[in-house]
Amino acid sequence: MIRTLHGDGGTLVAGLPPVGTFRLRSAAARLALLALAALVFLSAGSVSADNRFPPPEFETGHQLPTTTTPPARSLFFEYVDLAVLAASLGVASWLIYRKRSRRGLIALSIFSVLYFGFYKKGCVCAIGSVQNVALALFDPGYAVPLVAVGFFALPLAFALFGGRSFCAGVCPHGALQDLVLLKPVKVPPWLEQGLSILPFIYLGAGVLLAATGSMFLICQYDPFIPIFRLSGRTLMVVTGAALLLLGVFVGRPYCRFLCPYGALLKLAATVARFRVRVTPDYCTQCRLCEASCPFGAMREPAANRLEPRELTAGRWRLAALLLMTPLLIGTLAWVGSRFSLPASKLHPTVALAERFVAERDAPLKTGALSPDDLALDRARQTPEEIMTQAVGIRRKFGIGGWVFGGWVGLVIAAKLISVSLHRRRTDYEPDRGDCFACARCFEYCPNELVRRGLMPASELPKPKTEPAVTI
Amino acid sequence: MKFNVDKPKPAPSPARTWELIAWTAGLFSILVGLVMVFGHLQNPTLDPLKSPELKENKTQLRENPLDETTKQVIRDLDLRLRARYFRQLSRVQTGTYLLLGGVAVFIFAVARRSAYSRQLPMPGLRPNAAAEAAAMAVRSRWSVTAGGAAIAAFLFVLSLGFSTVLPRNTGEIKKLLGAGETAAVVESDAASAEEMRMNWPQFRGYEGAGLSVSTNPPVAWDVKTGAGIAWKTAAPCLGFNSPLIWGNKVFFSGGDAALREVVCLDLQTGQALWRQAITNVPGSPANPPEIPESTGFAAASMASDGRRVYVIFANGDVAALTLDGKPIWSRGFGALKNAYGHATSLTTWRDRLIVQLDQGETEDRKSKLYALDGRTGRVVWQKDRKMGASWASPITFESAGKGQIVVLAVPLIMAYAAADGAELWQADLLNGEITPSPAFAGGQVIVASPSDKLVAIRPDGAGEISKSHVVWTNEDNVPDVTSPASDGELVFCLTTSGMMTCFDAKDGKKQWEHDFEFECHASPVIAAKRVYFTGQKGVAVVVEAARQFKESFRTEMGDAFHASPAFAQERIVLRGVTNVWCLSASAPAKAP
Repeated sequence: MIRTLHGDGGTLVAGLPPVGTFRLRSAAARLALLALAALVFLSAGSVSADNRFPPPEFETGHQLPTTTTPPARSLFFEYVDLAVLAASLGVASWLIYRKRSRRGLIALSIFSVLYFGFYKKGCVCAIGSVQNVALALFDPGYAVPLVAVGFFALPLAFALFGGRSFCAGVCPHGALQDLVLLKPVKVPPWLEQGLSILPFIYLGAGVLLAATGSMFLICQYDPFIPIFRLSGRTLMVVTGAALLLLGVFVGRPYCRFLCPYGALLKLAATVARFRVRVTPDYCTQCRLCEASCPFGAMREPAANRLEPRELTAGRWRLAALLLMTPLLIGTLAWVGSRFSLPASKLHPTVALAERFVAERDAPLKTGALSPDDLALDRARQTPEEIMTQAVGIRRKFGIGGWVFGGWVGLVIAAKLISVSLHRRRTDYEPDRGDCFACARCFEYCPNELVRRGLMPASELPKPKTEPAVTI
Repeated sequence: MKFNVDKPKPAPSPARTWELIAWTAGLFSILVGLVMVFGHLQNPTLDPLKSPELKENKTQLRENPLDETTKQVIRDLDLRLRARYFRQLSRVQTGTYLLLGGVAVFIFAVARRSAYSRQLPMPGLRPNAAAEAAAMAVRSRWSVTAGGAAIAAFLFVLSLGFSTVLPRNTGEIKKLLGAGETAAVVESDAASAEEMRMNWPQFRGYEGAGLSVSTNPPVAWDVKTGAGIAWKTAAPCLGFNSPLIWGNKVFFSGGDAALREVVCLDLQTGQALWRQAITNVPGSPANPPEIPESTGFAAASMASDGRRVYVIFANGDVAALTLDGKPIWSRGFGALKNAYGHATSLTTWRDRLIVQLDQGETEDRKSKLYALDGRTGRVVWQKDRKMGASWASPITFESAGKGQIVVLAVPLIMAYAAADGAELWQADLLNGEITPSPAFAGGQVIVASPSDKLVAIRPDGAGEISKSHVVWTNEDNVPDVTSPASDGELVFCLTTSGMMTCFDAKDGKKQWEHDFEFECHASPVIAAKRVYFTGQKGVAVVVEAARQFKESFRTEMGDAFHASPAFAQERIVLRGVTNVWCLSASAPAKAP
């Protein structure tokens, strides 16, 4: 029995599935939660042990493993993975648009964490596949795996039609963070806007380094892979644990403020054919959906009409920003060109060439040498060949640095313009790009409760007859 | 006795059950986490490579390389540490699974429990929504501006601290490498060519012609009376490599799979000045390769640039020592793939050590030629060689205005620029298994293609020169193991069966031949217009280095010789299997 939706705040909502928000009743319970989270964080340090170090310098009874790299996944299973991804995306879209089921998305999230996360060890993932595609575009010698292209393209294709159904419950990274979200805290919108440029810049850096063949930055610094693999570098294990700990209170911190693939999905979802709607009927303006969204993605109706003074100021501001955009792009492109020098040192060939020149008069290291120490010998190339390659790569970085810097400038300028625009909005509705389609808001909507038969239609507030917003 | 039957205990509610499960899972997770943290803190130095005990034992072994007890202690400790390390890894993994399971149950239970006490939000009216939105837009712009500025500043600051030592374009690479070359020439930390000539710095002497500048080496000696024998000392180690002489020191190497070392004797007395084991070589193979006993681990001769001595062994270990035996650097090139064992000797060019590592089959693409900085062991340049294994040694010399390195391997005689490894010329003239080393004398490179022909080449060509720069060839009595010796006027060759042949160095015409009828593996050496050589079973012979055959001296040494003689300071050093001999014209006969 539902007593009221605007009641005394202590109402038990029976019959609804559990959602992320809850209140722990005692201070002891809150402390226990914090202690547990901290302990998980601390114990993460103990799983950072390295499985690889030099073999004994002599014969011992120790049996060396025959191989140090995992075998490649067979082609058949790669197709299976692609099929599972496509099916999961389809199920997610069905759950969001047809069933409008949060419970179903939780089940899908658990499946994704188990299958794409722990079973597949988080690889291939859509987030990292951006780099495969970037490398394939810029290096004709690189044969991009079909599965990587599939993981890159399928979620984007779904996003173009139906928003971020991949983020809703298919991406293991997002699903894991969503499942640990127990005590959501609202991030101030101004901070959210400031941080939201980071994924685009991270995307640019990842593409730059992948396109130049330097490294797969996004994979190497993926904070959740060590969790899925139960081992990894100390830095990344601790980062992953820290993000999960943060994710108990801040909804999906990686997805919102770092994920480079999320940036692409956001762009695609902005122009999606279909979009998530909170209410199945009309908006009662009850604002319950706004309170239910832990990701700050709900947008309120805009003011009726702008004052003429505000309108003029807004137009001048917009004009100034538009004029400033080329200047910003140019300045940042120059900064990017300077940044290309330190960035190029991340390329192993450039690093090797630099080391060769810097160390050629230094005495040789003694004792057990690391694989890194033996890199020049293992390269099986002459120093001249290595240096020639390094100079070529650095030239690529020179161009890439300008492009990357320009991209950073464009992102900042576009964001400034975006937050300066006045949008007409009549109802509370999720932001097309920012909404993860998690379905939390559905079950807070009175019209949805009526649709599910959990509340009589007579208790609904009447719809407003006038259009709420004009300009 | 009174029973309270009126007030039955109420059944636990689902909320209470989920709460209990949450507490249990939480406590379980805390317990597991505590155990993992405690285990981690208890064993902070689990990494076997960081064990102080292991490091201490390795230091002990370095000081006393033959100590079998320390070796066994290290083996046992290493195995124990690794086993403990992997046990701990396994425990951590189990703990992680338990922790993840506990946390998952905890989260699920908390979520379920919270559903029973969840309070709906109570959004109030927002009369100033428009003003708040405008204020928020202003703050958002500032936030984005600050974020963008921070990122731009970060990128800019990052670029400030970095510089590069690499050139801007490929044209400057040669300049950069050349600058090092110029510096090497100017600051070369090596003896002068004159000093090199006065000593015996490598296999077959400076420039590898088997030619000594000695003017008064002994022409005869007597093993029984000791006349002409300055000293004789028992061979301290096993090895077929030829000795080298620098100053008053005689150097050679020896060893086997267990231990490899360099020995230094006093040229005047034969006393051992020092012995240095070559151990803890970075990159050395853990398992020594199988080497035939007929070659051994120390078949390749050492070399010196007058400042340091260099040694190579068949397991690919290369090391540099001071003339006083102090290790400078060492590096392992990995086990060398060679059916007979590696026998190619070292040579030097200025302060660079030239290492020829021809191995395997041609298609293996494993063969390389290295120039290492003698002071540091760093690779100055390296060249891939599309050849299989070879046993001939490289020679270095100055000709046509540049330092050249001539190396042999079927089918090519190849010359590289010593400065940067550039290929200068090549001649497709070799057949069979190449063991004799080339000789440079009278402005010609003399090369024996075993059982095929003797060839003289002018080393001033470029590209393929087998048709344009071959001065002469001769197919008579071509040596198959020993190397030709030449003083620039005559060339002397010695076959394994003991047939010595003299050729005119100008046109290759045979002057004479003589069959000594004993087996020879050691190469002949010319000194003071005489040719010295030893037989495998101990015969030593001196003949005149002239156009007519004349045997000057012959004696039975009572030893076996595989190594070629070394000459310096009017003395001859012979390394026999049993003894090391030093011959001197001034050594008197010993009293009976």
